Amino acid sequence: MKAESLSAFSRGMRHLVFFLGLLIPVVASSPGKAETYREMFEKEFLTKPWAGEQAESNVCLECHDSEVMKKPELRKIPEEWKKSWHYEHNVSCQDCHGGDPKDAAMAMSPQRGFAGSPKYNQVPDFCGKCHAGILKQYIESGHGKALRASGSGPNCVTCHGSHAIQKADIDIINEQRCTQCHSYERAKEMKQALFLTEKKIKGIEDELAILKVGGVFTEQEDATLFSTAAEFRTLFHSVDVSLIKKKTDEFSEKLGKIEAKARKTSRELVFRKNFSAFFFLLFACMSAVLFLLSKTPKE
Amino acid sequence: MWNRIKSWIETRIGLNEIVRSQLTEYRVPANINIFYAFGFVALILFVVQALSGFFLLIYYIPHSDHAFRSVQDIMTVVPYGWFFRQIHVVGSNLMVAVVFLHMLSVFFMHSYKKPREMTWLAGGFLLLITLGFCLSGYLLAWSQLSYWATTIVTTIPTAFPYIGGFIAKTMRGSESVSGVTLNRFFALHVSLLPMLLAAIAGLHLFLIRRIGISAPPFGADGVKRPWTEYSHDSHPGGIPFYPDFVRREAFMVVIFFAIMFFVITFMPTLFLPLDANTPADPLKTPAHIKPEWYFLAPYQMLKLVPNRFLGISFQMIIVTVFLLWPFFDTKEEDNILKRPYLRVVFLIAVLFWIILSIWGKYS
Repeated sequence: MKAESLSAFSRGMRHLVFFLGLLIPVVASSPGKAETYREMFEKEFLTKPWAGEQAESNVCLECHDSEVMKKPELRKIPEEWKKSWHYEHNVSCQDCHGGDPKDAAMAMSPQRGFAGSPKYNQVPDFCGKCHAGILKQYIESGHGKALRASGSGPNCVTCHGSHAIQKADIDIINEQRCTQCHSYERAKEMKQALFLTEKKIKGIEDELAILKVGGVFTEQEDATLFSTAAEFRTLFHSVDVSLIKKKTDEFSEKLGKIEAKARKTSRELVFRKNFSAFFFLLFACMSAVLFLLSKTPKE
Repeated sequence: MWNRIKSWIETRIGLNEIVRSQLTEYRVPANINIFYAFGFVALILFVVQALSGFFLLIYYIPHSDHAFRSVQDIMTVVPYGWFFRQIHVVGSNLMVAVVFLHMLSVFFMHSYKKPREMTWLAGGFLLLITLGFCLSGYLLAWSQLSYWATTIVTTIPTAFPYIGGFIAKTMRGSESVSGVTLNRFFALHVSLLPMLLAAIAGLHLFLIRRIGISAPPFGADGVKRPWTEYSHDSHPGGIPFYPDFVRREAFMVVIFFAIMFFVITFMPTLFLPLDANTPADPLKTPAHIKPEWYFLAPYQMLKLVPNRFLGISFQMIIVTVFLLWPFFDTKEEDNILKRPYLRVVFLIAVLFWIILSIWGKYS
């Protein structure tokens, strides 16, 4: 019996060896002998953007990251930027500083729109190219007026930093930062005025995150929340406590609508769970009945 | 009223005779076991997929600009759209699992042996078509997950020298996965593959009925026949197909439905993770792209074999040997318990597949 079994297998193996033999010449002529397969796979299967858009080189980063850059504060820019909120949202060097990141020779040419680094009092206009609403509020605020009058008032970088810029939250208003220029009392009052609305925004963000993990597409709610929160935070740059207090109800109502929609979706998820649980129990019971029926003694 | 309808039908097509010959007097082996029901479960799951797919098709828009949005509308706006989509998604995974289990049990029972080689071959093609369904259906949601998983799978043929690029381009209809690929996969998914599956499943069922269900090789030794000429394996001492075996099949079907609704209830995002809920972005490659669980073993094997062409060729050889196995294994012994070498190979192969899948998942 063993001999028969072995002979069947040896026949099968002969076929297999024949197939493999056919492969050898083609394998030998196929590319990829110099590179390990894992490297090739990583390169060609996993990291190459098959959509046709090749990973672009950025000469700004390459240069700032190299030995050419002598000043340490300039050299750490790429690292700081990669940790930033801008990086997360695809805001790159040329979006703020202009220039051409694809052409080393012309990267810093004014012909390619290179603006370089702004002077201290130019920072608000520099950032305001994108954050136009905030710039308007800032210019009319005490902060903006102080900068214009003396050239030394707080600008965007004073509170938000530059390359390592993070998503702003209410804790950006703190005693340590504000007392660099004035007493904390007024800032504290401002923080209190913002607190409830910010808390509500955070709560809705968390709720939407839970829904996303639960398989709900929340693009519309995300967009509405983003624009509402941005509008509210724009208001803060006026540094006008009475204006914020006046507008808080309006924003509360807007946020309430998003919150209500998110709650409704949460309830819908609970309903879905109960609905499918009913079918689960139904089929579980049916299987139990059929099992018992199959065990019933026949006549 | 009911009797009148029955009588009306009986007069025209002789329904009683069909029920008697095909159900109540049709015999299956007395020692038939529950694993023989996997084929029927796969058939029922295919019907479930066809029905749920029909409802999805009403609202789905096969265009790269609208596909993702239409799927999200099915999930959120269309009444009970989420229910049909979840059934379709979970059902597809269950179908692959059931077809795998069916083929494993057929292999273990040696039911592929003469005269059932064609039945095995048809079953093998049904497995490939099922995987084709999964691959083509996966892209239709047009999410980050589906887009990039399809990109990986359609890149695999490029491992073939000379013709690889052509195969990949033919599958995609363009240099990269695009709206054209979506249209091609959609046409495959809702038109060609269902027809192919229905035709081959019909042939598979015909062969089973024509030849007769094979008896499990364990326990009492059955009558060994040389099979030099055609004869129906009628199992005169067996049990009636209806109600005895149908009851076992129904039991297995409801078990699988219970599993399906368990997953939908308690693990609704098992097959729809966060990336499945993000619109496809051809310019943004997700950090970790992994194929679905049933493609994890071949995916991992591709990563391990130190030459792309050798890797894919090796896999094709495995598939070919698997499909043509009844022609390789011509030994008369049909009890795997009496074939220690084959048993070891079988166990190693299954274990290897499981290890590669887990490795692929976490590597």
